[in-house]
Amino acid sequence: MAPEAINDPPADLRPIPPACVVDENVFARIYEENCGLLVSLAVRKFQVPAVDAEALAHEVFLSYLRHADEVRDLHHWLIGAICNASRYYWRKHGRNVEQLDTEVAAERPDPRSRDVLTDLPNSIAIAEVLEAMPPRWAHILRLRYFEGYSIKEIAEQQGVTSKYMQKLVAKCLQRAQEIFNGLRARKDKDK
Amino acid sequence: MTHSDDVTHLAECSACRQRYAANVVPFDPAARRNREHEFTSVAARLERERDESSDMVARYLRDTPTDEWSRLAEMPDLRNNAALEQMSEEVRRRLHRKPREALAIANLSASIAESLAPSQYPSVVLAQLRGTAWKDRASTLRYLARYDEALEAADRGEEAVAPFAALEHDRAVIRLVKGLIFSHTERFDEALSIFENCRQVFREHDDQRRYVQAGIAQGIVLYDTARYADALHLFRDVLHDAIAADDLESQARIHNNLGYCATHLSDFVQANIHFSEAIAKFTDLGYSTEVPRTQRGAGLVLIGRGQISKGLKYLYDARRDFTAVGMTEEAGLCALRIAEVLVERGDDSEARALTQAVIEEFTSFGFDDRAIAAIVRLRDSIDVDGATVESVRTVHDFIEGLRIADQNSY
Repeated sequence: MAPEAINDPPADLRPIPPACVVDENVFARIYEENCGLLVSLAVRKFQVPAVDAEALAHEVFLSYLRHADEVRDLHHWLIGAICNASRYYWRKHGRNVEQLDTEVAAERPDPRSRDVLTDLPNSIAIAEVLEAMPPRWAHILRLRYFEGYSIKEIAEQQGVTSKYMQKLVAKCLQRAQEIFNGLRARKDKDK
Repeated sequence: MTHSDDVTHLAECSACRQRYAANVVPFDPAARRNREHEFTSVAARLERERDESSDMVARYLRDTPTDEWSRLAEMPDLRNNAALEQMSEEVRRRLHRKPREALAIANLSASIAESLAPSQYPSVVLAQLRGTAWKDRASTLRYLARYDEALEAADRGEEAVAPFAALEHDRAVIRLVKGLIFSHTERFDEALSIFENCRQVFREHDDQRRYVQAGIAQGIVLYDTARYADALHLFRDVLHDAIAADDLESQARIHNNLGYCATHLSDFVQANIHFSEAIAKFTDLGYSTEVPRTQRGAGLVLIGRGQISKGLKYLYDARRDFTAVGMTEEAGLCALRIAEVLVERGDDSEARALTQAVIEEFTSFGFDDRAIAAIVRLRDSIDVDGATVESVRTVHDFIEGLRIADQNSY
């Protein structure tokens, strides 16, 4: 005799009654008190560009409005939402990179490819070095030497003092040099 | 400290939240003010709509013949977020009792959500409305076992929310329904992957109820794929979460499922404990129909594993409780399950007495003549010692088939 199916979870959940009556001021306070945190989380934890992080945080707030009645803890919900939104942002960003049209590319060569024979080995070496570094350190070096941020700006973004960031950048460079030397020694040995 | 611990701490510590957010990123204050203004205006608008339209949908549905519900999509009163929220609630209310009405409302809701003007709400809110409407349609179609259409509706829901990174929670709710569809269509690997992912999203949003719901769904897939030890382990974890969330209904369902798992793992003592817990909790909740259903399930699974006496006791209790709540047909079907065991054991006199009792009950309640005639033939064959386990089961399945046909003809 075959057993009957075990209980399915309920098809949908019963709504939880609103915790309190809300007004516009309550929502304004929610926005003011949490917007900075959400943007910071997106920028610092997930390296979402600041402009996009602002837009993501705003989306999170708007999406909260339809869930307000069922949210048990506002901070948990908002933080969970921005973390998930940031991950989705990168998943989507990765998928949406457009492929280069090869015919158009052949007609209009990228000016940056002019010195490719000398630049490319350097670029590969740099990429290898950054790849071998801890992600946070690699991120700091990218900000400083590829995107042109000042020490002060990076320090603000990472939530540390400028003095500490100065030391950290020096440390990162030192580590990069060590990794580069190691890679070169290994390649020489392979030859 | 892992990421999870880190953000959990941030959620709980006001000082760390302030420190984390202080003077970190240069913002555009004007843009921030504009966004805040948009947020508060939308919040006020949604609240106003909710206040102005309490019970609006219920009234329209009451005053309009069912076959004309689709025309309600043109009513201006119903073309807003509050009305769509009410429709979602109406779908939920009707899903188990009147699934076809639930489907008609879900269709109405999807039709309205898809045709709202883009300027009516911010695009992210519009996407939520559409996602929820399609999710409700998917959920209802799943309930009606129209799985292909249900999957299509779930896909439409996912498409609606896809452009918005912030809608991971909404996406997980839709995907939970999709996972249930996969589970019913035996696409178990896909279902498991979805449930696992949904649980993570719900946990991060502190949505304990749905976290438990997704855990139960995941456990059922493990059970259905005969991974009883894994299912047991998961149900035990989920039980702790349900207790922490003070979710008594889920606790009752999980105990029931733990009973099934323990039975398959031949731990009949534990099975008995879990089934008893489930019955006690359903009784506390006042779910009078769930109590005999749980007893019947427990009886059948125990008998299936050779625990005849324990199983029969549950079946007799189920029959008694079905009768007590006026579910005469269920009580009769339960009696036939008992008769099946009795015939197998050669206890024909008790089997005959039971079938005779069912004939009398069905006759007094004016049930389908074909059902009564089938049981009369069964009783007569018991009289001449010609009844077999198969013949009792055939009669049981025939009566159940009549009931399903009756429900579907609605």
